[in-house]
Amino acid sequence: MELTGLVQQSVDWHAIAPELVLAVSAFIVLVADLFLPKEGKWIAMPLAAAGIVATLAAVVSLAGDDRGTFEVAGSATFVVNDFALLFKGLFCVIGLFVLAISFHHFRSGRYYQGEYYFLMLTSLLGGLAMASARDLISIFIAIELISIPAIVMSAMRKGDARSNEAGLKFFLFSVLSSALMLYGMSLIYGLTGSTVLTDIASSIGSIEASSEPVVVLAVFFLLVGFAFKISAVPFHFWAPDTYEGAPSPVAAFLSTASKVGGFVGLLILMFEAFPSVADTWRPLFAILAVATMTVGNLVALRQTQIIRLLAYSGIAQSGYVLVCFALIESGPGAAEANRQALTSAIVYLAIYAVMDAGAFAAAVSFARKGGSYFISDYSGLWRRSPVLATLMAGFLVSLAGTPPMAGAWAKLFVFLATVQAEVYWLAVVMGVNAVIAAWYYLAVVKAMFFDQPDSTEAVEVPYLLRAAMGLAAAALVAVFVYPPLITDLADKAPL
Amino acid sequence: MNADVVREVFFWGVGAIMVIAALRVVTTQNVVHAALYLVGTLMGAAALYVLLLAEFVAWAQVLIYVGAVVVLMLFGLMLTRAPIGKANYDNSQRPLAAVVAAVLFGVMSWILIDAFSGTELELAGENAPRTQDIGAVIFSSYVWPFEIVSVLLLAALIGAVMIARRDEPEADKEVGS
Amino acid sequence: MPIAYFLVLSSLLFCIGVYGVLARQNAVLILLSIELMLNAVNINLLAFSAHLAEAGVPGQIFALFVIAVAAAEVGVGLAIVILIFRNRQNVDVDEMSLMKW
Repeated sequence: MELTGLVQQSVDWHAIAPELVLAVSAFIVLVADLFLPKEGKWIAMPLAAAGIVATLAAVVSLAGDDRGTFEVAGSATFVVNDFALLFKGLFCVIGLFVLAISFHHFRSGRYYQGEYYFLMLTSLLGGLAMASARDLISIFIAIELISIPAIVMSAMRKGDARSNEAGLKFFLFSVLSSALMLYGMSLIYGLTGSTVLTDIASSIGSIEASSEPVVVLAVFFLLVGFAFKISAVPFHFWAPDTYEGAPSPVAAFLSTASKVGGFVGLLILMFEAFPSVADTWRPLFAILAVATMTVGNLVALRQTQIIRLLAYSGIAQSGYVLVCFALIESGPGAAEANRQALTSAIVYLAIYAVMDAGAFAAAVSFARKGGSYFISDYSGLWRRSPVLATLMAGFLVSLAGTPPMAGAWAKLFVFLATVQAEVYWLAVVMGVNAVIAAWYYLAVVKAMFFDQPDSTEAVEVPYLLRAAMGLAAAALVAVFVYPPLITDLADKAPL
Repeated sequence: MNADVVREVFFWGVGAIMVIAALRVVTTQNVVHAALYLVGTLMGAAALYVLLLAEFVAWAQVLIYVGAVVVLMLFGLMLTRAPIGKANYDNSQRPLAAVVAAVLFGVMSWILIDAFSGTELELAGENAPRTQDIGAVIFSSYVWPFEIVSVLLLAALIGAVMIARRDEPEADKEVGS
Repeated sequence: MPIAYFLVLSSLLFCIGVYGVLARQNAVLILLSIELMLNAVNINLLAFSAHLAEAGVPGQIFALFVIAVAAAEVGVGLAIVILIFRNRQNVDVDEMSLMKW
């Protein structure tokens, strides 16, 4: 029997090499865990780290390439370009960082270590797949691959009711957001008859006026679905509780890799498929950005627990990235403006991921021995552990967006893009929010350096964590001194 | 009787069953009944898929959704030894929820009817894709998401077993919690 | 047959699901409501797929992926529900503070 309609595909194996290497590493970790003796389970972590390093090597081997594979009606649904590779590299770096935070935490607790590292690698695989996905089906599958292992990871402290609740809450919000996102996607498919973003982009520009409300409805559902994933207000309720209940390294993962994964999906969708109808949906993003920044920062002011503070700060940071979406323009002259909005979003996400992961690492280090998660216990940390206090201060200063850390450039680029797009009111809201945010970050810094400590016991920090935090802080200072380190990469990374 | 009329009658009959079952899913005060009413909606959806000439998806719906998902839910409820009696499962926001859902439905149906009112479906089936076409396309153009889903299912399987298994008693105690 | 029939039925199911998510406080019942919403998505996809005739294959494939992912989600969700039940020896999932949002 003849198979009609069978499209012969030649797979570009080099293009999918990073994903393949990472998937194989995840399976090796899973199988190795079966044979490791109980006290040797920690070996899963170096194995996972080796897998991520190999993945990073595969990403680097593709540098500068522009490839596409898995074609649907002549358009590639999986592309490898500078944008995809930049984010794949970023996911690998975040992955290594989270492994470093996880090692001592999971080794000293009674966790299923092998399964944890397997799940983390699969979630990371979702991130890598997302960076290359260029059709609705791939984007949906990638976001699910990021979320589902992350849900399991956040419920991993099985004996603790708070962790159970964290898992359940994250699960329900995640499934709900998928359903909303899918409804939006189904409408887009109906309007354009295609799931491939380039085809959607070309046919959505020429739809009839009577169909425009459907576009708004579809983007609304897509946006609400992604808003849950990136914890934007008013869909952020799950984030602080989940971060607090989950094992802290998992909170670091959720706040960096998982959130960046959601943003990458949103960037691809909005900058690739819908710029031509930007006038209809731009206000949605502006409202969401303002609400997210303002509510995140105001609620963060009242927090007494460092993980919750970081959760709300992460929500507020999402708001700054959302501003970039509110700058997308339609029409013939829009390409340059959209490029600038995209570049500033990429720079912000890259810097945010490093500084946020660093802050989580510092919080985990402090809570390990002799400290706690309460901000009041940070008083006088400078006298107990000057190095840890300096590193923590560095990350908080960076999150606040003040020199001498890279966070300052991240905020400045978004601010400049906003001013250049002549959306002055949004720029003003951003400025006011930066001031509010500086207040609560610097309050912690002040307590660490100028208040009296309750105890004089030094906080012991393992070498692995010291190295990770040191590298992150060095990277942030280096980018502050010489911003082209990141801006050059982002500049040549259109979708 | 002409085939279009038959289809129309079929649609209205199945649609009415689905909506009634769905309403019971969200209003009944018995968890097991809710799961069984969901079967009604899911089977109705499968019947509509047949009407829409998507036999393969209809079978997948029956086998995976009705056969696996709902059975899994019933097993889950059994394993938790939930008292299968009546209880109050609604929260205090019911009126607000009803208003939100009604407004949303009004807006959505108005927009959709306005945009798609002129579009007629041709359900005679000469040009419909066959299962063969679906298989060919899924294993050529869409083989990448297919592979990713296999990793996703493995991760979900491992994760579910890890979460749901009973540990040795001391394994529940963790340092620092 | 007008495609609007299917779209309105699907939006009705979707909104019933939304009502269930907002009005219920038991995790399993919320999950059932979300399944209603996912079914609405699939009805949409298949209606549009039928409209496109031969070109409608991606819509059917999309629906198959939705079904597969929903199965994975339900597995993980029920594992968490069982875990919670075991730790609390208590079925009142709705008594959890988190369910009252």
